[in-house]
Amino acid sequence: MRDYLLRRLVSVIPVLFLVSLMSFAVIWIIPGDPTAAFLDASSTPEDIARLREMLGLDKPPLVQMAEWYSRVLTGDLGQSILLRIPVLSAILERLPLTLFLAALALLVAVGLGVAAGTFAATRRGSFADQSVMALALLGLSVPDFWFGLLLIVVFSVQFGWLPSGGYVPLLEDPAGWARSMLLPTLTLAVVQIGFIARMTRSAMLDVISQDFMRTAESKGLPGLYIILRHGLPNAMMPILTVTGIIAGALLGSAVVVEQVFALPGVGRLIIGGILSRDYPLIQGGLLFLTVIYLLINLIVDLLYAAVDPRVRLE
Amino acid sequence: MAIRLKALAFAFGLMTSLVAVAPGVEAAGGEIVIASVQGPPSLDAHVTNAQVARNITLHIYETLYARNENAEAVPDLAEGVSVSDDGLTYTFKLRQGVKFHNGKEMTSADVVASIERYRKIGVSPALVAAIDTVTAQGPYEVAVKLKAKQSVFLDNISSPRAPIAIYPAEEAAKGANEIQYIGTGPFKFVEYKPDSHVTLEKFADYVPNPAYQKRDGLAGKKEVLIDRVTFRFIPEAGARTAALESGAVQIVETVDGPTAERLRKDSKYVVHDVLPFAFQVIKLNHAQAPTDDVNFRKAVQAALDMQEVMEISYAGINQVDGGWVFPKSPFAADAGLDQYNLADFEKAKEFLGKSNYKGETVTFITDNLRPNVDIATVVQSRLAEIGVKVDIKVADWPTTSKIGFTDAGWNFWTHGFGIEPFEGPGTVMAAFVGGNAQRVADPEIDRIAKEFFATLDDAQKKELFKQFQQRMYDNMVAIKTGNYGLFQVTNDKVKDFVPFRIPRMWGVTLAP
Repeated sequence: MRDYLLRRLVSVIPVLFLVSLMSFAVIWIIPGDPTAAFLDASSTPEDIARLREMLGLDKPPLVQMAEWYSRVLTGDLGQSILLRIPVLSAILERLPLTLFLAALALLVAVGLGVAAGTFAATRRGSFADQSVMALALLGLSVPDFWFGLLLIVVFSVQFGWLPSGGYVPLLEDPAGWARSMLLPTLTLAVVQIGFIARMTRSAMLDVISQDFMRTAESKGLPGLYIILRHGLPNAMMPILTVTGIIAGALLGSAVVVEQVFALPGVGRLIIGGILSRDYPLIQGGLLFLTVIYLLINLIVDLLYAAVDPRVRLE
Repeated sequence: MAIRLKALAFAFGLMTSLVAVAPGVEAAGGEIVIASVQGPPSLDAHVTNAQVARNITLHIYETLYARNENAEAVPDLAEGVSVSDDGLTYTFKLRQGVKFHNGKEMTSADVVASIERYRKIGVSPALVAAIDTVTAQGPYEVAVKLKAKQSVFLDNISSPRAPIAIYPAEEAAKGANEIQYIGTGPFKFVEYKPDSHVTLEKFADYVPNPAYQKRDGLAGKKEVLIDRVTFRFIPEAGARTAALESGAVQIVETVDGPTAERLRKDSKYVVHDVLPFAFQVIKLNHAQAPTDDVNFRKAVQAALDMQEVMEISYAGINQVDGGWVFPKSPFAADAGLDQYNLADFEKAKEFLGKSNYKGETVTFITDNLRPNVDIATVVQSRLAEIGVKVDIKVADWPTTSKIGFTDAGWNFWTHGFGIEPFEGPGTVMAAFVGGNAQRVADPEIDRIAKEFFATLDDAQKKELFKQFQQRMYDNMVAIKTGNYGLFQVTNDKVKDFVPFRIPRMWGVTLAP
């Protein structure tokens, strides 16, 4: 187990190096630089050159790259050109919001998805099964930005129950925080609920047809007990795999949700960085997100072993 | 009995607390939240000419002279100016008792330091290019000596483009983007949370300029009647409108045409038309075929139906107008306008026949702003009628502007001229001097501009501008499709709001 962990952690290094190289390449390939955010179209090439020099963008790319790597090795991700603060603190300041949002959405998606999938599987072919699966398909097909706007129109504009956007820090006002997170969480979760429900249903159908389920039934155990005690744990592997994938996808979808609900999360930070060509922010942000992605993968793999004793971490 | 007593005590407590807050409710004050499209690249006014930035910074900082409602330069931090007979020395008399947000009084040392900083790092160096020296003459007088006469010097000093904001001297000593946000404006900076909001609050020690009786453009009497203003950045258009409709914000800086029409029918909102706000221009690349050929350029102009172009891109808020200044400007002229908005395919084909066009595909670049993409699409379909193939390349602003500032990779590039027409004819001309916009210098434009900037005679300036407009059409330097506006929306709680280029928060009150 310890060896496995160590091996996995070491294998992260080349991945991070590759990601950073690729992000450098992308930055060089896409035209435009941070001066575009500061200047309008009537600026002259001389104005642009002057600003480039002031922002330190006039150094050759290779020099910039070498400087960046030497800083990163000491844990310094550089300074954001637009925000004027270290990239790492910009990310760390925004991270709790995005992580909370993704975690809450994951919780809601797994909770509702597994419940709906199990419910449908135990009523295979019935009207209830078909209705739940139709709903799941609908959830899967709904574009999240559209669903977010729909929620805003209904719950903010029509009923006035919840804020239409903006963020209230948890420590400042817990109730306000909960209210500000509710609609974004639902929006982020809706696609994944459908995904998990369908996955759970098919995994449960496989399990239900197994001998040990019939044995449990013939012993006269109550139906719900059989499902929860014997069925679900055995259907967990595919559900866990999907959950792992979703956890990563949620970080990506969070960008859209943060945009719709005007939440200052990491997604918006990096999108803003890309749109304004804030190089240090793009570089640092991508590197940081990669680390989180890899961590999630590692956790899922460790959970495999915890859930299924047949999996050996060798 | 105990319960009844408790209830009585509670009711009494509630009443006293209501009485306690009542005066606060009735008094002027409150917070206005404005939904903005995006956050500013910087709050250091000297280093950005982005519209989103000046919407905020012009509440915090002030300039020696500022533009009034008609875009004329009028005194703001200065009491006035005297110009030497040779037109080379401008002596500004400063208003006394003007306080910075850090409590310090503004003196000539701050003005000198700020102008010097702008000369070093300001992003629109053309505004101060004519300056030779800036010197303090006593605590309340500043003399600016020019290298050569410049007819638009006061216009430049008062430009809101990337304003020559007056900072305290110690801030002006700092580098680009490194200052504390301290100005003399009616609002002082409180907080900036990137991707979320900027909050400003009323500057208690602000004394409105006694020379004015009322609000006037970016100058005039700036009396603040509210306590705070927050600019909240909501990039998604639907969410911005929803924020207004749910009461979370009181002002939206811009909405699209259909939304404006819907809100106009609801008495809870007031839709303000700010028209004209900008020019829509299609730049033509004279360095690349076939747009290097004047006959091809004329063919394009002749083919276009500007009514169609403007109505599709800026539904309900546009003017079909080919003048290179706004219609009410004293410089407005009809020179060359017989070549504008012809919508004549026969004439277009005639020009095309005389041109070197060989059937090649022409590249139209545009950023992803919806109206700009719409214009590219309309032009594409219109030109197809005369047999010109157009390929549209849409990218984000940094990519598009990068390509547009080079000689290759594009023939047409469309975007708004936002601040230029507001600044006046000098700035509009400057965009085409030295071939900046069209990539090949036009000697005639360069000559006209040079003479324009050197003369102080109003009649001569008007005559030169007429020549400029005529040349723009005769050589079809660039195509102006028309003027467009924007819809600012306030809810019924916002009183005394007068729409302008930036949503000004002075003079505005908020109903409880």
